[in-house]
Amino acid sequence: MIALRQVTKTFGSGTTAVRAVDSLSFTCPAGAFWALMGPSGSGKSTVLHLIAGLTPPTSGQVLVDGADVAAMTPAESAVLRRRRIGYVLQAFNLLPFLTARENVGMPLVLDGVRQSEVDARVDEALARVRMDHRAEHNPPHLSGGEQQRLAIARALVIRPAIVLADEPTGNLDRAAGRQIMDLIHDVNERTGVTVLLVTHDPVLAACAHRVLRLVDGRLRQEMVLVGDRHGQAPLALH
Amino acid sequence: MRHGNGTGIRFALLGVVSQHPDGVHGYALKRHCERILGNFWQLNFGEVYRVLDRLAADRLIEQVVADAESSRKLYRITEKGRRSLDDFILVPPTDAPRPLRQELAVKLLFARPGRWQDVLRLIDHQREAYMRELSLLGVQRRRLARRAVDAFVTQLLIDGAELSVRAELAWLDDVTQKLTERFGRST
Repeated sequence: MIALRQVTKTFGSGTTAVRAVDSLSFTCPAGAFWALMGPSGSGKSTVLHLIAGLTPPTSGQVLVDGADVAAMTPAESAVLRRRRIGYVLQAFNLLPFLTARENVGMPLVLDGVRQSEVDARVDEALARVRMDHRAEHNPPHLSGGEQQRLAIARALVIRPAIVLADEPTGNLDRAAGRQIMDLIHDVNERTGVTVLLVTHDPVLAACAHRVLRLVDGRLRQEMVLVGDRHGQAPLALH
Repeated sequence: MRHGNGTGIRFALLGVVSQHPDGVHGYALKRHCERILGNFWQLNFGEVYRVLDRLAADRLIEQVVADAESSRKLYRITEKGRRSLDDFILVPPTDAPRPLRQELAVKLLFARPGRWQDVLRLIDHQREAYMRELSLLGVQRRRLARRAVDAFVTQLLIDGAELSVRAELAWLDDVTQKLTERFGRST
């Protein structure tokens, strides 16, 4: 579960201060698939950074499975990211000189997991994104869509509770982007991982069960879509 | 209250009549209507008078004589008509996603100053209807993908439906942004 309680994030100070997130509150239940939409500068990506503990809130609480991310030490929040949260970005950030298999296994290797376990889990993650036939290829030899599949496998290999996806289709054409979204939808449905997706593309956002629309860092609109298992009651707007 | 097809033209004419407190002649009404609604609607006299007759039958407008020497009839909005126009502007569009451009244009034209925030809420409502439509199309698309049968044409139709909803949503975002720029930040 992800919960934000009256979270405000201000960058800079004085006259140049920018309030990226403004008194934002929501509770995203475990297993949900939610999307954050909004114009550029509406604070969508900052929300993901706050949840991953990459930046502390100026005020308010960010709770991941009940633990206050802002109260964690840097070491604790690093463990949260390494074991609980899979991050997928627009840029695939794959290492070109490593094979697909080695790229996907990297988070486990860095976490000191033994090799036999790494191998088993990489196989599972590659199969999940239907990239098992490309395991020994290097990323530069793969299409954009395939590279993003690997990036998703790398996020899934840690068996995360939460996947944060920030414009994961931003570098892909429409057909490849749709396949990636269908994959994320499938992963959420089959594994029950909580997914929070940031996108400006309504077709992709509509794959989610619920869409939060942010404007100027505030929750402007909450849209309950098909497949929402957590009731129709909208949250109060703040 | 739900508004069906033809609602746009009905309230467009009622809106234009409302802008002439002393009454307006049918011909001037048609000209005025075309001027403010641009070239989007091609109106013919028969249609204009049919709608005016219906508005009069519903007691939303009344006919008054211009002056003693002439028998020319002018149309003037009634109190009931004003209330009806005001209600229309604030009633969310129907849940069934369909292009809102004409209806929204009429609401924007005749919304009283200070009511633009309400119009923004109407746009939000419409956005949600479209997002639900996209969501349903996604369900259909994934269901088709799981089937073994060739669904080439259905797939193309779904693509087309998604693209048109996407265009409507982009337009709503554009209207929202321009309204906000023009009238100030939403609260």
